[in-house]
Amino acid sequence: MGTAAADGQLDTFPRLLARNAEKFGNKPAYREKEFGIWQSWTWAEARDEIEALAYGLLDMGLNEGDHVALVGRNRPHMYWSMVAAQMCGAVPVPIYQDSVGEEIAYVLDHCGARFVIAQDQEQVDKVIEVKDRLPTLEEVIYLDKRGMRKYDHTHLRLFDFVQDEGRATRDKGEREMAARLAKQDGNTTCVMLYTSGTTGRPKGVVLSNDNIIITSKNSAEFDHLVPGDDILAYLPMAWVGDFIFSVGQAYWTGFCVNCPESADTMMTDLREIGPSYYFAPPRIFETQLTTVMIRMEDAGNLKRWLFERFMAHAKVVGPKLLDGERVGALEKLKYSLGNLLVYGPLKNTLGLSRIRVGYTAGEAIGPEIFDFYRSLGINLKQLYGQTEASVFITQQKDHEVRADTVGTPTPGVELRIDDSGEVFYRSPGVFVKYFKNEESTASTKDAEGWVATGDAGFIEPDTGHLRIIDRAKDVGKMASGALFAPKYVENKLKFYPNILEAVVFGAGRDTCTAFINIDLTAVGNWAERNNIAYASYQELAGHPQVLDMIQSHIAETNESVARDEMLSGCQIHRFLVLHKELDADDGELTRTRKVRRRIIEEKFADLINALYDGSESVSTETEVTYEDGRKGSIKATLEIRNVTTVEARAPQAVAAE
Amino acid sequence: MLDQPAEGYVTEDGRKIGGVLMEMKNITLRFGGVTAIKDISFDIREGEIRAIIGPNGAGKSSMLNVISGFYVPQEGEVWFKGAKRAQMKPYQVARQGIARTFQNIALFEGMSVLDNIMTGRLTHMKANVIDQAVWWGRAQVEETENREKVEKIIDFLEIQNIRKTPVGRLPYGLKKRVELARALAAEPMLLLLDEPMAGMNVEEKEDMSRFILDVNDEFGTTIALIEHDMGVVMDLSDRVVVMDYGKKIGDGTPGEVRANQDVIDAYLGVSHD
Amino acid sequence: MPDQLLFAMEVTLNGLMAGVMYALVALGFVLIFKASGIFNYAQGVMALFAAMTLVGIQKGQVPFAHLINAVFGTNIHYFGWELPAILAILLTVIVMIGFAWLVNKLVLRHLVNQEPIILFMATIGLAYFLEGVADLMWGAEIKKLDVGLPQGLNATIDEVTFNLFGYGFFIDNLDIAATVIAAVLVTGLVIFSQYTKQGRALRAVADDHQAALSVGISLNFIWVLVWAIAGFVALVAGIMWGAKSGVQFSLSLIALKALPVLMLGGFTSIPGAIVGGLIIGMGEQLFEFLIGQPFLGGATQNWFAYVLALVFLVFRPQGLFGERIIERV
Repeated sequence: MGTAAADGQLDTFPRLLARNAEKFGNKPAYREKEFGIWQSWTWAEARDEIEALAYGLLDMGLNEGDHVALVGRNRPHMYWSMVAAQMCGAVPVPIYQDSVGEEIAYVLDHCGARFVIAQDQEQVDKVIEVKDRLPTLEEVIYLDKRGMRKYDHTHLRLFDFVQDEGRATRDKGEREMAARLAKQDGNTTCVMLYTSGTTGRPKGVVLSNDNIIITSKNSAEFDHLVPGDDILAYLPMAWVGDFIFSVGQAYWTGFCVNCPESADTMMTDLREIGPSYYFAPPRIFETQLTTVMIRMEDAGNLKRWLFERFMAHAKVVGPKLLDGERVGALEKLKYSLGNLLVYGPLKNTLGLSRIRVGYTAGEAIGPEIFDFYRSLGINLKQLYGQTEASVFITQQKDHEVRADTVGTPTPGVELRIDDSGEVFYRSPGVFVKYFKNEESTASTKDAEGWVATGDAGFIEPDTGHLRIIDRAKDVGKMASGALFAPKYVENKLKFYPNILEAVVFGAGRDTCTAFINIDLTAVGNWAERNNIAYASYQELAGHPQVLDMIQSHIAETNESVARDEMLSGCQIHRFLVLHKELDADDGELTRTRKVRRRIIEEKFADLINALYDGSESVSTETEVTYEDGRKGSIKATLEIRNVTTVEARAPQAVAAE
Repeated sequence: MLDQPAEGYVTEDGRKIGGVLMEMKNITLRFGGVTAIKDISFDIREGEIRAIIGPNGAGKSSMLNVISGFYVPQEGEVWFKGAKRAQMKPYQVARQGIARTFQNIALFEGMSVLDNIMTGRLTHMKANVIDQAVWWGRAQVEETENREKVEKIIDFLEIQNIRKTPVGRLPYGLKKRVELARALAAEPMLLLLDEPMAGMNVEEKEDMSRFILDVNDEFGTTIALIEHDMGVVMDLSDRVVVMDYGKKIGDGTPGEVRANQDVIDAYLGVSHD
Repeated sequence: MPDQLLFAMEVTLNGLMAGVMYALVALGFVLIFKASGIFNYAQGVMALFAAMTLVGIQKGQVPFAHLINAVFGTNIHYFGWELPAILAILLTVIVMIGFAWLVNKLVLRHLVNQEPIILFMATIGLAYFLEGVADLMWGAEIKKLDVGLPQGLNATIDEVTFNLFGYGFFIDNLDIAATVIAAVLVTGLVIFSQYTKQGRALRAVADDHQAALSVGISLNFIWVLVWAIAGFVALVAGIMWGAKSGVQFSLSLIALKALPVLMLGGFTSIPGAIVGGLIIGMGEQLFEFLIGQPFLGGATQNWFAYVLALVFLVFRPQGLFGERIIERV
């Protein structure tokens, strides 16, 4: 495995920064919307900001090898903090900003952070709350001074102030800084990211400069990213994907990172920036599509007619055009007309009109959703990755895009499927180790550098594309011995806009059952149109007509599941609609919104029993955590419904034609 | 607490409270034969959060309307900034630096959030019609300056995402926040809040309390508010006036008011809701 | 039959330009209605009064000459000068502002918080009072209004269409001028209401009186402002109509033309007034040309305008652009 040093010593982020400031000095590096206006920083300005901060941190006594925790939303200043920490020889550790006190305490304690850079009062409060338990924690730096005036500032500093100090003490620290920078190379730790993990405590994944930079280089070249590209940085900074896109690839390529004004304005900011390179989890594409469909239902007849007519055409022609297939001149003309009347304006409102490369990953995306965006001419692709791989394991090449695969291995990645069907990989991006956890490191990464993904899948023989079925440990057997792949069914269910989340049970049982979470936006809108009054989420979720609707969705899903010989046992026999949304604050989902099966099974054991004992309804009481961390409980009586299932049939021969 | 020095003092949490900003002297207000307010006197000090509480129908809203000039009392005097206030129209009171919100929300429903908040800046805009026609550029500079102030407030109240949304489409809780934003945009010396938390759920109430405290803390704005949610008032305010059937039955710090027997009898002990 | 088609096109164009005139009058109604909820019946008379005042000032007519002569036995009618059009227009604007101030001071201020129907009645009274004053002030005879607007056949259009279709369209220069002026006026009004302090205050008052007071807006000032603007719009409408068919009392009846426009466009919408005006103008001319003239004996314009408005009213009571009336449950 070569190091990035081959590229003229571009093996650390401070060095990449220096190159960018020199080569793209006047090109925008960061933009952020503040007070309603887009502020921007060129690469040269970004370097000055980062250096000022780095000298400030040095002056505050940041040592080599220290961990600097960062908690807050995506802001240029937070990204600067990461590189400034690296300049001092310290390791940045971004933390999920919606973590509650306990989670933050664990991470800060585990990495032994001495400095924390927090975005605002809310984050500072969370840190101060647990400070007593953290002997190593010394200084907290905050970005937004609002509400901070009354705090005890002995160990609390304003970000700008640290930068001012850094500018003032620059001369004093210059030699030390140069020495530290010179010591760094491809093997130096670049960042430590805590995986949210579906089970157990989060693990600190240590990634080296080589891991990140080589992976960024390979993936950026794969998609021909260029300095003029724009991305919108809105996904959690603690997530490896954001680190690769907004730091790794951004520094390698020299493109611009745009930060939204706030989480709530993300859609508006997306529209204003119009990124050319974009990543979003399937959930966001789903929400956007739902919004479009809702608006179309409310639109005038002419508009709706145009939309339906041209979308039908796009569905046929759009993907072909994207895949570079031949399309008749007339068809092409009609597509251009559609682009003028429908697709163009639509893409513009979605903020996707400039997209050259778009990715989705993390969960399976509904084929209809995927095709919708592709048919508009948006080059949406899928990738498959993990924190331990510095993201990229496989990704789809342009013109080789399908909804049901995750593509071919990223350059530099080797794949292997073991006997149980689990996917293994080896790549330059493979993590160094889990921090302070040799046992886990050894059980995940073998001596030859192969890493288990924990996912079951197979490589399509004719195309070489990887297909993922489910989490390896979730694929189980039913009582009859038939294959049980809950996620396969859940994904099918979640493709209905009305269903936000589904949890399917059935391992070791005779039949499968399911919990359903309705999507409040979609179902709420449907209720409004049908004059169904409801006062709360709970009431809507329990409404008989909502249950009818969900029941019909499940029946349809059963038909589709029954078509797959191997998995026809996974049809849902009984279901209930949950009275609360599954929530990361209650531990039911991970911070990246993956279902935590075991916790749900424990927490709702009474409901699962009711699903299997034939009762028609069940009363329950559930503990919930509010946004501010307080706890409460809600009571509900839930109706349980049976769904028609399809007789598993042997594959019928289609009449030959 | 009532005998604090006239020139002001510093609270336990380090906020500066100044001298008397507004004083109501022997106010009596009647509607026909009904006496809504009977001979009430109290003062509001610079920088404090002053609450007026009381059961429904106690005359709290009437008192706020007297302060903001919507009602003219039959008897009594209103002193503002050390001078007796002549009889004034509500818009003149507003121009003196007294901004308010309404219990039932009075926003410009057809206008965007931004435009609504911008109207709060009207009293600070100098350019008139002629100026604007002749000195288009200068008027634009003024517009930009005011827009900056408004954006700071939008940021402060965390309503960036609804900047361009017509107010009519917003849910109740957000409307309340926009109304507060519009009042703040006037950079008032005295901010009057008429039941700022009425009709809100627990979470919205907490948000609103935080905003009220932050406003007072950050801008040093003097705030007088009416509320019938006792818990909220006691946490928020420096001093409380208690009214019942148009009369003042208590006045002091939350602690003093809580201990006042008249107040316990009239309000805390008996539920009027 | 291509000739028929060409005629129809010409009729449509002329209809559209007539529509601009209707829109101008309707605009005056909308402005006042939006800001104060008053349906100003006097809008038409205001146009008449403005036009008469303009002619009077321009020609150097002595106001109330009849009255003065009757009382003092004199025989004065003219000061003996003629003012340039632009100066006369400026003076008329000042008169209209004074009128707005007087209306507010003497009438509306005393009717604050009254029922809309009372206010409507007051404007009817105002209309007839103003008509009488106009008569007394400037005399009842038909006057010619000339402020230098181009008139007569537009030769260029005639020529171009002739070369294109072999048939020259007859388009009056005055109509073209009216269209241009109306467009400028509307653009000006939009800029005023969107981007100026007073414009914002005006929209605020139109939306909620109580809230407007609380941010320091004087309602009286805004009402004077609105009536002054409505007076200005009336003046522009008066100039156009006056230039076209002379200043006479029938001018005050153009208000009746604005009514179907308002029904169509909605009472509160400025774009509604414009689009409504265009639809009515074009619709009535086309209907007359295609159906009225050949089958119904002609002169169906007014009838058609109201029928169209009525049909609209039935299906869309809030008008084309009016605020939707929704009662949320």
